[in-house]
Amino acid sequence: MKLLKPSWVNHNGKPIFSVDIHPDGTKFATGGQGEDSGKVVIWNMAPVLREEDERNENIPKLLCQMDNHLACVNCVRWSNNGLYLASGGDDKLVMVWKRAAFIGPSTVFGSSSKLANVEQWRCVMILRNHTGDVMDVAWSPHDVWLASCSVDNTIVIWNARKFPEIVMTLKGHTGLVKGLTWDPVGKYIASQADDRSLKVWRTMDWQLETNITKPFSECGGTTHVLRLSWSPDGQYLVSAHAMNNSGPTAQIIERDGWKTNMDFVGHRKAVTVVKFNPKIFKKKQKNGSTPKPSCPYCCCAVGSKDRSLSVWLTSLKRPLVVIHDLFDKSIMDITWTLNGLGLLVCSMDGTVAFLDFSQDELGDPLNEEEKNAIHQNIYGKSLAITMESQLSSTIIENPEMLKYQQERQGNQNPNEAQGIGPENQTPKLTNVLNGESLEDIRKNLLKKQVETRTADGRRRITPLCIAQLDTADFLPALFNSVPILPGSSASTQLTPQISSDSSTANSLGLRPSHDPTTTSPNKTAEDNKDSGTAAVNSIGMKSNLLLTSASKIEPMKALDSRFTERSKAMPGVTSVPLTIGITPLDRVKDSSSVKEPKGKDETSSDSEDKIMVKSIAKRKGEMEGAEVVEKRKKGRPRKDAKTMPFPQTPVEPSRLTTPIAVLKLPTPSIQKSFSTQVSTDGVTYLEVENEVSVVSGSRLSQLKWSREGREWDVLLPSRIIIAAGSSNVVAVACEDRTLSVFTACGRRLIPSIILPVPMSALHCSGHFVMALTASAMLSVWDVQKQTALVKNESLNPILSGTDATVSQSFLTQQGVAVVSLSNGKTYCFNSSLETWNLIADKQDSLVQCTDFRNCVSAQDALGSMGPLALTQGRNLSAGRLASRLSSTPHHLQQGMTLAFLEKQLSSALILLSASEYRHWLLIYARFLVNEVEVNERSICQRGNLTGDLTTEKLSRPESFTISTCRQI
Amino acid sequence: MAKVQVLNVAVLDNPSPFGNPFQFEVTFECMEDLPEDLEWKIIYVGSAESEEHDQTLDSVLVGPVPAGRHMFVFQADAPNTALIPESDAVGVTVVLITCTYRGQEFIRIGYYVNNEYTDTELRENPPLKPDYGQLQRNILASNPRVTRFHINWEGCAEKMEDSENVDPAPNSMLPPSCTPGKAPPLGLLPDNSMDCL
Repeated sequence: MKLLKPSWVNHNGKPIFSVDIHPDGTKFATGGQGEDSGKVVIWNMAPVLREEDERNENIPKLLCQMDNHLACVNCVRWSNNGLYLASGGDDKLVMVWKRAAFIGPSTVFGSSSKLANVEQWRCVMILRNHTGDVMDVAWSPHDVWLASCSVDNTIVIWNARKFPEIVMTLKGHTGLVKGLTWDPVGKYIASQADDRSLKVWRTMDWQLETNITKPFSECGGTTHVLRLSWSPDGQYLVSAHAMNNSGPTAQIIERDGWKTNMDFVGHRKAVTVVKFNPKIFKKKQKNGSTPKPSCPYCCCAVGSKDRSLSVWLTSLKRPLVVIHDLFDKSIMDITWTLNGLGLLVCSMDGTVAFLDFSQDELGDPLNEEEKNAIHQNIYGKSLAITMESQLSSTIIENPEMLKYQQERQGNQNPNEAQGIGPENQTPKLTNVLNGESLEDIRKNLLKKQVETRTADGRRRITPLCIAQLDTADFLPALFNSVPILPGSSASTQLTPQISSDSSTANSLGLRPSHDPTTTSPNKTAEDNKDSGTAAVNSIGMKSNLLLTSASKIEPMKALDSRFTERSKAMPGVTSVPLTIGITPLDRVKDSSSVKEPKGKDETSSDSEDKIMVKSIAKRKGEMEGAEVVEKRKKGRPRKDAKTMPFPQTPVEPSRLTTPIAVLKLPTPSIQKSFSTQVSTDGVTYLEVENEVSVVSGSRLSQLKWSREGREWDVLLPSRIIIAAGSSNVVAVACEDRTLSVFTACGRRLIPSIILPVPMSALHCSGHFVMALTASAMLSVWDVQKQTALVKNESLNPILSGTDATVSQSFLTQQGVAVVSLSNGKTYCFNSSLETWNLIADKQDSLVQCTDFRNCVSAQDALGSMGPLALTQGRNLSAGRLASRLSSTPHHLQQGMTLAFLEKQLSSALILLSASEYRHWLLIYARFLVNEVEVNERSICQRGNLTGDLTTEKLSRPESFTISTCRQI
Repeated sequence: MAKVQVLNVAVLDNPSPFGNPFQFEVTFECMEDLPEDLEWKIIYVGSAESEEHDQTLDSVLVGPVPAGRHMFVFQADAPNTALIPESDAVGVTVVLITCTYRGQEFIRIGYYVNNEYTDTELRENPPLKPDYGQLQRNILASNPRVTRFHINWEGCAEKMEDSENVDPAPNSMLPPSCTPGKAPPLGLLPDNSMDCL
């Protein structure tokens, strides 16, 4: 055993409360007190391990320090996948950190230390819930949960996949909770508190499994922490401070019956921390001697307030080693290297010590497979011991596993669909300096920066963006909304676009540095911008960190589920080499050649397949905005089509074979009864009851209308599929493909209209009725004037060429039909030109690059209400990217804003939405006045021109005269 | 945790005649797109004795602020000499740069400022009525005092309940909201800082 105290690992003499080695072994984190805040420091491991690295000036020792915690940091813990660091402190907060590839070293402004940060770790999430100091944090196996415990007597389980969601708050301790440990098998979490108890909680229902008090009855609450630990085989739980015959011990608790018969004795003061070695060992085989089967054993380090450290092997009765006087103050935390041979200890005195064991001393560590075999022997198949790669093939034995498996699939796929590999996960900085050096920019910054006046006359400076930060972090929006910058395209589209026009002459342009763990298979994939390969990277990296040989199948599965182990076992599958390296779009074209193996898959359907189909189908509902590429990647599109027949199957041939195809939209299923609210002025309900009575073989359905006590009903000879109404008319579509229209008084307006195909969507507004049939044909009728505004127009022009489906359709008060697609685009049908017009596009770059905020006055800020706002969403993302382009000339941004505003104007006009037209025209005029130096006439010209149009076309004319413009 | 981190403040045009505008080049970094503008202020402390003499030289809105690293130069006119007590015109005082988000101050950067006559004659026998035309302003740029405050980044002005647990930074200047007189900013002036001037 070698012992080292690296003096350079310190917090300037302030106490270090926690230490944790990164799973890849290249760095470690310490947490403790900073100058006037809490402090988390990430250190390089190499100088600890090797003396020559310690002496080498070029090898950094300190990688990053974070002063963001407001008060002392009590615990730092790396996630098992190494991507995140969680820290908890006296400021009641838990922070989750993530590495950001960054422009270069930076210092903390105003801090006395001049040390630069080599790596950039930034807080991606703050978890606020505790009402007292957070004492310990712990990631569950597979990083599904993060647990934190606090002096507020509670333990909070956070959903690590959806921060800051809280899964459960575990209440029951009556004293300060000072330590946490997860069962390596994932069934339990144990906590130890000052209330002289150790509690074990079930992860299944988060209820108390057992409460152990006997060994702690003599304990006083004298330790700062009580870090307990679970053995890697799951068989033993070892507590911190316990007492036996008034001597301090570390209590051993057996999993089997929670028996407390053994303890580690010898420390003279309370035990503060226990940490099991992550490895299970077996006896070192001597050369030449015949290998004897020996029982595997575990290794455990115990630190105490008596400033000494002991290391135990469960195969020995006495400690392997005891080190006294290693520190001046109490030991606070212990961490093992992943290989099980190294050990870092930190102390309240602000120093750390490193212990290096040899295999001769500890024994031969079992590899992951052997460890898993032990787990399987003891526990059977279980959630946590199942490696990720085996997950899909594992027989599901309990609901917990099923849930986990579905979660995995659901989570993994959107990730890969949007290309969030490890590369993309680290926030990216793209430098947009127009080829100028930072120095040049600084010289002219004052002259170049854009300064405007807001509506109330205040100065407003648009800062110059010198580096972009694309944080693809825990933002939930990334997964369930139409992304503003859909993952991969953020890097593949926007970045080249900007950097090419800026020519990126200077050396600041950067690619995120690659993690040293990324190995060769990933490297080959790196140049490929395919988001699918990005997924390979992510999985590949994970497997490097966590898993062993068996996991190598995983990347392929992620790329395309056709490459499961099973299909790999079929030698006939030719598409394996074919698909790798092809971009997703190519693969779409290639789908005919891919069909064959898919067919094979279908024939060999088994229980596993069913589960996959189920989860895919479930996901389908959540991810309507999915693009072609994503759908391909989900794999097994055939099955997909089977479960969700409507939006998919018909679209595919249209794209692949015939240019004009039969589009098909989903039709609502027939319900026994349903009701809808149709009008807001005077609450009006429509109630439908199908098959109210059967009269001479024909089934009658009833439609009932009610408004504030008044009601009428009408009987129809066929079952009603959809009903819609406005304050003027009511329309119902029946199973027999008829459409009946009634007045608001219940009088039938016209005899039943016969439709060629079943109805998909039906809307009423004013005197207008809009019908969207299952064959994607649109009709709009004015039932009062008895004219057709839109006659059987196909949605083919807007649907062809995309894989999008209709996500929303409605009819404006003025009888304009609006159709929104799942790809974020919204169209309306212009009946005078007989064209489809694009009125809103959520991914329009113009929208994102506009900045007209200082032209919006307070009353405008409430937003205009109307069909345009409805399609574009209330939180119009305008300006989100405004200053990403701020290094491009200001006039370009002005131009984009102008273009956007004009677009809004014309869209409002075509929708005949008077109030919105007025809203945007005001903003437009203000923008012209504020930002663009144009002579008044041009504004007025436009004002007049459009004003005239308005008067002609809008039902509520708004005339814009020169005086209006002047007022603006 | 602050969504906005100030990475650097460079003091431009320093030292300079007293009447020159203040110029600070601020580099900051934002973790995520901010829906609201940041408001920056330059406050000139006219007298250490009382915050009555504090002058807000100017305030600007800075936006839009997407995630990333940004820079701007904040220029503000020199203080109104009529508002500075004559006895405090010459000597050491403080200039503060503050930034607020949604009406909540989250960072305060203080610089010591030394105003003195360049002319040796004047320096030895300063006139009773300060001659601002002859005064030189020297900002101790190498020694900023940064105080960070915990604010609620999501909501508006409603106070964070734990805002009081911000450690009173021993090396930072107190905001003027602290009881005046008890610890005027200059009382914290470290001994060695004068050497740097």
